[in-house]
Amino acid sequence: MSKHRLIGPSAWIVGVAGLVIGVGAAWLWNMGNPGNMGLCIACFNRDISGSFFGAGANMFGVAYIRPEILGLFGGAIGASLLTREFRPRGGSSVILRFVLGFIFMASSLIFLGCTVRAWLRLGGGDLNALWGILGIVVGVSFGAVMLKKGYNLGRARQLGAVAGWTGPVIAMVLLVLALVWVSTGSAPAGLTVTPERAKSVNGAIVQDEQGVVLRPEGATLVDGTVVAADGEVIADADAVQGAGRMPGGLRAPFIISILAGLALGVVAQRSRFCSVGGIRDVILVRRFDLLFAVIGLLVGATVANMVFGQYNLGFVGQPIAHTNALGNFSAMAVAGLAAIMLGGCPFRQVIMSGEGDADATMAVVGMLAGAGFAHWGSVSSTGAGLSQNAWPALGVMAVILVAILFIKRERVA
Amino acid sequence: MVEVDARGLSCPLPLMRAKKALDSAPDSVKVLVDSGTAKANVTNMLSDEGYSVTVSDGPDGFTIEATRS
Repeated sequence: MSKHRLIGPSAWIVGVAGLVIGVGAAWLWNMGNPGNMGLCIACFNRDISGSFFGAGANMFGVAYIRPEILGLFGGAIGASLLTREFRPRGGSSVILRFVLGFIFMASSLIFLGCTVRAWLRLGGGDLNALWGILGIVVGVSFGAVMLKKGYNLGRARQLGAVAGWTGPVIAMVLLVLALVWVSTGSAPAGLTVTPERAKSVNGAIVQDEQGVVLRPEGATLVDGTVVAADGEVIADADAVQGAGRMPGGLRAPFIISILAGLALGVVAQRSRFCSVGGIRDVILVRRFDLLFAVIGLLVGATVANMVFGQYNLGFVGQPIAHTNALGNFSAMAVAGLAAIMLGGCPFRQVIMSGEGDADATMAVVGMLAGAGFAHWGSVSSTGAGLSQNAWPALGVMAVILVAILFIKRERVA
Repeated sequence: MVEVDARGLSCPLPLMRAKKALDSAPDSVKVLVDSGTAKANVTNMLSDEGYSVTVSDGPDGFTIEATRS
C-alpha cells in the first residue's frame, strides 16, 4: 500500500515563502510604500505604466518605476540561471495571454489591488478585502471547473535566447531609466514620476510637509492654505490636511525597494509562490500545499502590521480602498478567473517572465497596457468608489473571458 | 511504465495529467516537463503519493522518473 501524504514538505516551503513576502510587504509599507501596498504586483506594474502614460492617461498620481518589480525580475533571473531553470520558451496563445493580462489588470484596478494585495489588505485589517477574496474563490473555482472540462491555451515550445530574454531586457531598460531618475533627481525625458509624498487638492499639487506648492506656478502655502499668485485661495488648510497623498509619491527608499524585490524574487522563484494556485489545486488535484502560500502571506502581513502599529481593523478609512462590496467581489472574481486562465497569478507571471517565459512576458505587457487603459477610460476605482465605466467594463471583460474559455477548449478523453 | 508528456503546458495541466496517470496505480511513471515550476509541482506530488522520484536535466526539459517505494 502506498503512503499518501496530504501535506508534504513543499507546503512548508511555500508557506514560509508566503510568510516572508507578507512580512516584507508590511515592512515596505513601514518604510514608505503606500498603505497595505508594500508589495502589489498590479499596482506596481500600474505605476510603471503610469510613468510612461503620465497625466494624459490620468496617471500623474500613480507614476513611478517601482524598483520592487525590477528586483523581482532580477531575483527570478538570477535564481533560475543558477539552478538551470532559465529556459526560453513561448508560443502558447500569445495574443490571448496579452488579453488575459490586460483584463487581469483592469479588473484589479476596480478592486484596487491584485490577488496578492487582497491578502495584504486583509492582513492590514481592511475587511473590504474579504469581498475581494470571496470573489477570488468564486473566479478561481469557475476557472478550475473549466480546466477540468478541457480549457488549455496550448503548448509552449522552446525558443531561441532572444525571445526568452525579452522580459529580462525590458526590466533592464526600466532599471536604467530608474537609475537615471535616482542619479539626476529628475525623470528622464518623456517619463513622469509622481512628486514624493505629494497631495493633489483642487488641481494644485502640494508637498505640504516641505511647505512647497508644485502647481500651479507661483502659488504658495500660507498657514496650510494654498494661495495662487494672484492671491486667490485654491484650497483651504482643512482641504489640504484632509487630502490623501498620491500613491505614486509614496515610496520606500530606492535601494531598500530594489533589494527587497531581489530577495523576494529569489524566494518566489525557488518556492513557486502563487496567490491563486492554492485554491485551484485543492479543487482540481486535492492538493493543499500551495494554499499555504496565501495562509503564510496573511499571517505574515497581519503579525508584522501589528508589530509596526499599522494594523487597523474595519471597513471605513482604509488606505487606497473603497467600500463597494459588490464591486470588490465582482472585480476580483474576474481577476481570479483571468489569473487561472493564464496559469498563475501576476506575481508568478513576473517571475516566469524572468525565467525566460515569453508568454508570461506577454501577460505582463498586457497588464501594463491594461493599467493605462483603466486609468484613461475611467475604469479604475478611487478611494471614493467605483468609476463610471467600471460596471460596463467588468461586464465586457467577463464576456471575453467566457468566450476564450469556450474557444480554447479541447476534447477531454 | 506510464509516460506523460507535459512539456509546454501551463499550470496546472502538468500536475493534472501526472495525477491522472496515477489512476491506474502504476508501479512506475515517467513525466516530461520543461519548466522549473512544473518540475517542482509534479515531483512534490509524486513523492507525496508515495513514489521515490529522480529528476534528470536534458536539452528538451526535465525527465521525472518515479517508482513506487
